[in-house]
Amino acid sequence: MTIVLQQVINGVVLGSLYVLVALGLTLVYGVLVQINFAHADVVTLGAFSAYFFIHGAGGGYVASIAVAFAVGAALGWLMNAAIFAPLRERGNELLPLIATIGVSVMLENAMLAVFGPIPYAFDSPLSNDVIRFAGTFITLQNVLIIAVSVATIALLYAFMKFTFLGKALRAVSQDRETAGLMGIDPDRLVMLTFVIASALAGMAGAMLGPVLVLTPFAGTSVIVKAFAIVIIGGFGNVEGTILAGLMVGLIESYTTQYLGPGMIDIVVFALLLVMLAVRPTGLIAEKREENV
Amino acid sequence: MSSLDAAQPARVLVTRRLAFLAAVVAIALLPLVFTDTYWRTNLIVCAINVMLAIGLDFVLGYAGQLNLGQSAFYGLGAYASTLLIMRLGVPFWIAFAAAVAFAGAAGIVLSLFAMRLRGHYLAVASLGFAVITYQVLLNWISLTQGPLGIYAIPPPPALALPGLPAIGFRNLANLFYLVAGCALLSYALLDQLIRSPIGEALTAIREDEVSAAALGINGAAWKVFAFGVGSAVAGAAGCFYAAFVGTLVPDAFFITESFTILAMVVVGGMGTLIGPVWGAILLTLLPEVLRGIGDLRLVVYGAALTLVVLFMPGGIAQAARLVLARLRPERQPELLR
Repeated sequence: MTIVLQQVINGVVLGSLYVLVALGLTLVYGVLVQINFAHADVVTLGAFSAYFFIHGAGGGYVASIAVAFAVGAALGWLMNAAIFAPLRERGNELLPLIATIGVSVMLENAMLAVFGPIPYAFDSPLSNDVIRFAGTFITLQNVLIIAVSVATIALLYAFMKFTFLGKALRAVSQDRETAGLMGIDPDRLVMLTFVIASALAGMAGAMLGPVLVLTPFAGTSVIVKAFAIVIIGGFGNVEGTILAGLMVGLIESYTTQYLGPGMIDIVVFALLLVMLAVRPTGLIAEKREENV
Repeated sequence: MSSLDAAQPARVLVTRRLAFLAAVVAIALLPLVFTDTYWRTNLIVCAINVMLAIGLDFVLGYAGQLNLGQSAFYGLGAYASTLLIMRLGVPFWIAFAAAVAFAGAAGIVLSLFAMRLRGHYLAVASLGFAVITYQVLLNWISLTQGPLGIYAIPPPPALALPGLPAIGFRNLANLFYLVAGCALLSYALLDQLIRSPIGEALTAIREDEVSAAALGINGAAWKVFAFGVGSAVAGAAGCFYAAFVGTLVPDAFFITESFTILAMVVVGGMGTLIGPVWGAILLTLLPEVLRGIGDLRLVVYGAALTLVVLFMPGGIAQAARLVLARLRPERQPELLR
């Protein structure tokens, strides 16, 4: 029983980090109908910038999360300006996807050249403080992860629902042309979406750092699951993504417990392929016609 | 173009036959020019990559389906043939045929998803397929020996033609002739398919599936066909890879390999068959020529992929057409494909 409960905690921690990463993918898909493969590398670079902020500049761990957030935001702006904005006029849906695969391969191997293949020991000072409860334990680090994720998701939700920019953003993702006619500048909102999405990914990287083995390829293992999550949840749908992210986190922790860590990707992607075959619109379907 | 072959000017047909002949001559001469092991090894890698690239181009460039699972079909071909040979003692060429059929069948299974999915969804589904295949190769240790790998895989058996000395494939020049010959054969086969009405059906699906359906083209059936053919070619490349390298580890078929093959197709020019051939050769040899960049090989691939998409989406093939059109304005670029 305690094992089951313990794995719920582990799953929720992992799941909330996956949600942060996957939300970025789903937000970008919402406004652009594009997948950003290099999103993975924003996660990795977020983790590395937090690591070097702590170990190089002597900063604190909580502050390093903010640094990773800022680094992610800057990367998002850069990627939109360099790749997505110039390719948008061409109207080919595969070209930007292929370009981001290129960017991702380039960034990962450039990081490999700079940081080397040996994993970095990214220790959070909060990992040593353990709270025990009913036979289970949870580290302060994990409490922080859950708290920051919940707060961020709540803020994002409030932003989307109640602010003018958030409403404009949703308008653009529903119908870009009509939104343009209403005086909304779609290009600026697309950029805003990229900045938000990448900032979330960078922040997730800083919190994943102590959980993952920090290498230049750390983001890749997360991003393939994030792809699975956005499809299981329904591409472009925020609620579905949150649900699917937590689900995948739980599946991962139970798979590790009962089947072994080697089976994680197999179980997650088998679920993905089953979803694609049975219900390709995802758990919560967005009203789109082009997807499937 | 394609089904109008008979109506094409005789000059174009002659040009195509001359190009084929030139390729045969080039393949025959290359190992004689490059006699050391290092360059002959590179030549064989080039030939294997050419097969992988044209196989993917058939699916991506012609049928317009972004398949990120090419590394999986490559790996399935390699492991299927090797396991048949080493575990069951099946003769090489029978194992080869079985592995090609197996990889093709796997492609057909994936295409069953492609029938319902488009664009990004297919990209992620095929990526998922590649991830699952890699993890299965890594974790099914009783079958594949997982990360420890399979060692001492024999090269293809020597060919004994009557009246001639046996042609052994431990000799790298002979192995190159075998692999390059198969690459050329695959090219000729795909070229014929593309120039037949099948090619037109595939490009029609690529351009607009609904309009294609209105013309009576069964999109689902042709996608299944394209995936089957493209992945069978990758499976054949996998058989040669295993026999050439002599060692199999799952890491050779990680999803990065799919991205590498994608880079070859895009840099060469998707939607032309000759482009990816040059793309594969260029991206295989470039890191070797620029010595000392070792670790940066994939940085070059990534940069090339991004820059080509941004500035020359038709790749080398488009660049070559532009140059030729400028040099000989009287000939229509269309005929130079």
